Amino acid sequence: MSKAIVPAVEGESRSLRRYGRHKEELESFETQPSGFLCFKMDDDEYGIDLNLVRQIVKPSALTWVPRTEPFILGVVSIRGEVATLIDLRSCLRLLPTKWPRSSRILIVERDGEALGLLVDEVTQVRRLPSSSIERDPSLLDGPRAEYVLALGRTGHRDFVVIIDLDAVLREWLP
Amino acid sequence: MGEVKGQAGAKALQEFLSEAQDILEGLGRSLMSIDDALRRGEPDPDVVNDVFRGMHTLKSLCGMFGVEPLARLAHLEESLLEEIRLGRKAWEAHLMDLLFESVECFLSALSVVAEKKDPTAADDLESIFVLLARLEGTSHASQAPRPSRVADDLAPQHRAYEPEDLFGLDILEVLTEYEEHRLRVNLQRGMKLCFVLMSFSLDAIDIELDKVKKRLKPVGEIITYLPSADTADPDKLALNIIIALHGTLADLEEVLADKAHVVEEIRPRSRPPLPPRLSDRPEPAAALSHDLAVDVDTAGGADGGLSREGGVASLKSVAQTVRVDIRKLDRLMNVVGELALARTAIARIGAELGAMSGRRDLAIELHRISGGFDRRLGELREGILEVRMVPLGQMFDRLARMVRKVSRELGKEIHFVMSGADTEVDKLIIEELSDPLMHIIRNAIDHGIEAGEVRGAAGKPSKGTVALTAYQKGNHVVIEVEDDGAGIDSRKVLTAALNRGLVTHEQAEVMGDREAMYLLFIPGLSTSEKTTAISGRGVGMDVVKTNISALGGVVEVQSELGIGSKFTITLPVTLAIIPALLVVVADRTYAVPLNTVAEALLVSPSDVRDVLGSPTMELRGQTLALCRLDRFFGVDRRTTAPNESRVVVASLGQRRLGLVVDNLIGQQDVVIKPLGRSLSGVRCFSGATDIGEEQLVLVIDTAAVIEEAFQSSEKLETRVDNSEWT
Repeated sequence: MSKAIVPAVEGESRSLRRYGRHKEELESFETQPSGFLCFKMDDDEYGIDLNLVRQIVKPSALTWVPRTEPFILGVVSIRGEVATLIDLRSCLRLLPTKWPRSSRILIVERDGEALGLLVDEVTQVRRLPSSSIERDPSLLDGPRAEYVLALGRTGHRDFVVIIDLDAVLREWLP
Repeated sequence: MGEVKGQAGAKALQEFLSEAQDILEGLGRSLMSIDDALRRGEPDPDVVNDVFRGMHTLKSLCGMFGVEPLARLAHLEESLLEEIRLGRKAWEAHLMDLLFESVECFLSALSVVAEKKDPTAADDLESIFVLLARLEGTSHASQAPRPSRVADDLAPQHRAYEPEDLFGLDILEVLTEYEEHRLRVNLQRGMKLCFVLMSFSLDAIDIELDKVKKRLKPVGEIITYLPSADTADPDKLALNIIIALHGTLADLEEVLADKAHVVEEIRPRSRPPLPPRLSDRPEPAAALSHDLAVDVDTAGGADGGLSREGGVASLKSVAQTVRVDIRKLDRLMNVVGELALARTAIARIGAELGAMSGRRDLAIELHRISGGFDRRLGELREGILEVRMVPLGQMFDRLARMVRKVSRELGKEIHFVMSGADTEVDKLIIEELSDPLMHIIRNAIDHGIEAGEVRGAAGKPSKGTVALTAYQKGNHVVIEVEDDGAGIDSRKVLTAALNRGLVTHEQAEVMGDREAMYLLFIPGLSTSEKTTAISGRGVGMDVVKTNISALGGVVEVQSELGIGSKFTITLPVTLAIIPALLVVVADRTYAVPLNTVAEALLVSPSDVRDVLGSPTMELRGQTLALCRLDRFFGVDRRTTAPNESRVVVASLGQRRLGLVVDNLIGQQDVVIKPLGRSLSGVRCFSGATDIGEEQLVLVIDTAAVIEEAFQSSEKLETRVDNSEWT
C-alpha cells in the first residue's frame, strides 16, 4: 500500500520535475526524493508524491467528451498529446465549485497514458521528514479514508492529506 | 512553353521534377563526400564521375523540358566538371562553393516550377543568372592545361611512364580522353597496371560486372574494360579490364580468387613509333599482342558501350525501384479504409445470422471468412504504410549541405555528426520535418556555438560540434539536435519574454527553469542581441513547434549554460491523416471522416417524418433515418425548433444515416491522435485532432454511431417517448 508514497530510491528519480518558488528548496529535493506536491481544495491541503507529477500546466482549451461520466472533464492537448482531464475534486467527493483562476492541471502518467488532474490551487512542494508522517489508516474514516495514504504534519495544527493516487484512479478509472 | 496542359503534361512534369530532385540529391551527397575527401587528399574518381554524369543527365532533362536557363546552368557546370575530371582544373574552394550553390539553386528553381506547374516559371529567377555569370567567369579565367599536380609531387629521378610506353595505338585509340587522363595520373604515381581477363555470361553481365567492380575497388582503379574476342562460348562475353593497382598483385589475386580470370601485368614495351597525332586515325589493328582483340563495334563505340558503367547503373535502378506518387498511396489507403467499413458490416451480418435459428452453420463460416479478411486487410494496410516509409538520409544530406553553407557564412568551424540516417519515417513527415530541423540546426550554429576564440577561452575545442541523431523508439521516431555551444540561459529567455510583454511579472515569478525554457516556442521571442540574416528574428522556434505539433509530435528542449543545448523531437512513425468534414453540434466542433460522408443536405422541419417513433426523411425516393447528434451526445439544450437543419449523410456499407448537425464548417485534413485508455468506453469517437491553438476536436467514429443508431431504432418499436422532432 505504501508503494506510492515511498518514493523512488536513489537514481530512480525518473520524472522529477521542478516546481515552486524557492530554488534552494527545490535543489534539496533533487537529492532527497521525499517530496510532495501540495495543493489546496476548499480549506484542506492535499499532497501527492512529487515523483508522480510529470508537469504542471495552466488549464487551456478543454474539449468536452460527450457520454462520459461527470468526473471526466474532457480532453486537453498537452504538448501534442491528448490527455484526459479528471476533476480531482469530484473524485475526492468534494462539492463542485467554479474553477478558480488559480486552477492548475497536474499531469500524471498511468499505464503509459497521460492524465490531467484538475486542482484548485497548487501551493508548494513540501519535504516532510518521516517522523512527521503518520501512516495510521485508522486516523480517518468516512468515504474518503480509502484514498488517504497518510497525514503529514506541517505545523502545530496544520497537516496535509497525502493522497494515494493509485487508489483514487483505480476506483474511478477501472 | 507555357503552362503544361492536360493530364499527360502534368504527369510528365511531375516525373521530370521527381527525377531531377533525385539527381540533385545524389549530386549533393557526392559533393559532400568530395568536399570531405579534399580535406584529406584526393577525392575518389568514381565519385567525381558520378557528379559529372549526374550533371550531364540533368542537363538533358532540363533541355528536354525546355527549362532553358537551368539547362544552360547544367551545361556550364558539366563543362566545369569535365575540366576538373580531366585534371585541367584543380578542386578549388570557390569552385566547390559554386557547385554547392548551384545544387541549392536548382532545388529552389524546381520548387518554383513545381508550385506554378509551369516549366518556364523559374526562368527569371535571379539566382540562376548570378550563378551563370559566375560560371562563365570561371570558364574565361580557365588556364591553359597545366601539368597535373601529381607530376609535380614526384621526384624527378625516374621519369614516369607515358601511356604510349605501355599500349599500342589500337588501345590508346579507344580510350576516352578521361580514361587516358586517369591512366596518366596513375602512371605518374607509379602505379602498376594490369590486364584482368574475365568472361561474363551475356544475360547477367551487368550484375556480374558490378560485383567484380565492387571487389576490385579496394585494390585499384579500373581504367576501362575492353571487350575481348577471347571466348569460345557464344553466350559469354570476355572483358579485358585494365586496372591500376594500388595494392599488390597478390591482393588482386585474392579478391578474384573464386572467379575464373587471367591477370597479366602490363610492362612498358619497346616504344612504338609515335604516331604524328592521335586524331589522324590510322587503321585500327586487328589484333594485339597479349592475345587481345579489340572490337570497337561490339563495344558500341568508345562512349556508349554495353559495358560502360553509366548504362549499367541506370538499367539497374530501373529494375529495382519504382517511383510512386504519394497521392496514389493515399488513394490506396482510402480504399483500405472503405474495405474496413465493409468488414464491419460483414461482421454485423454474421452476428445477425448467428441469432437466426437454422443459420448457425452459415454464420460460423461467415465469421471464419471475415476473420481471414480482417487479417489480410491488416496486412494490406501495414504494407501500404511501409511503402510510404523512407529513410531520413535524404533530408540529412540536405541538412549537411546547409550546415556547410551556414558555417562558412558565419565563419564558424562546425563538426557535423549525423547518425541514424537509415531510420525510416512516413514520407509526409519527412517533407514537413525538414524546415523545423533546419531552424533548430541554424539556431544551434548561429546562437549555440560560440565564436572560435570564446570557445578557446572556455577550454572547448575551437571547432563546434552539432550532432543530429535519429532513432526509433517503439512507435515513435526520436530526432535529436545537440550542440556543445553556450547553452540557453533560461533567465534571459524569461527577461526577453517579460520585456516583450509575453508573460506577466506574477507569472514570471513562479516560473521554473524548465517552464521558462519553453517560452522559446512562443511567437516573437528571440534572445539574440543582434539579428543576423540567418536567425535571431524571433521567428522560427514557434514555427518549429507548430509544425511538429501538426505532425502529432512533440519538441522538447534541454540546455545547460556553457555546456550546450539539446532539442528532442518525438514523432509518430506513421501519420493517420484523413480528410474530415468539420461540423458544429451544440456549439462544439466535431470532425466526421470524409470517407464516410456521402453528401450534406439542407433540411427543413417539414421534410421530416416520424416512422415508428424515429425521425426520417425522404432522399431521392428512399427513406433515410436521421440521428440528431446533439441528442445522441446528450446535449439537447435547444427549446425551440430550428428553421433548417444540416444533415450529413453518412454511409457504411448498405446502411445510411443522416447525422443532424447545427452547422458545417468545411473540409480539413486532420491527424488523428488516439484518446487515452481512460476513455476507451466511449465508443463513438475514434480520436481527437489538434486544429491549432492547442484546441482539440473529437473525431466521430461514424461506423460506431451508425451501428448504435440502428440498434436503438430497432429497439425503438417498443419505445414511444423521445420521438418528437422539434
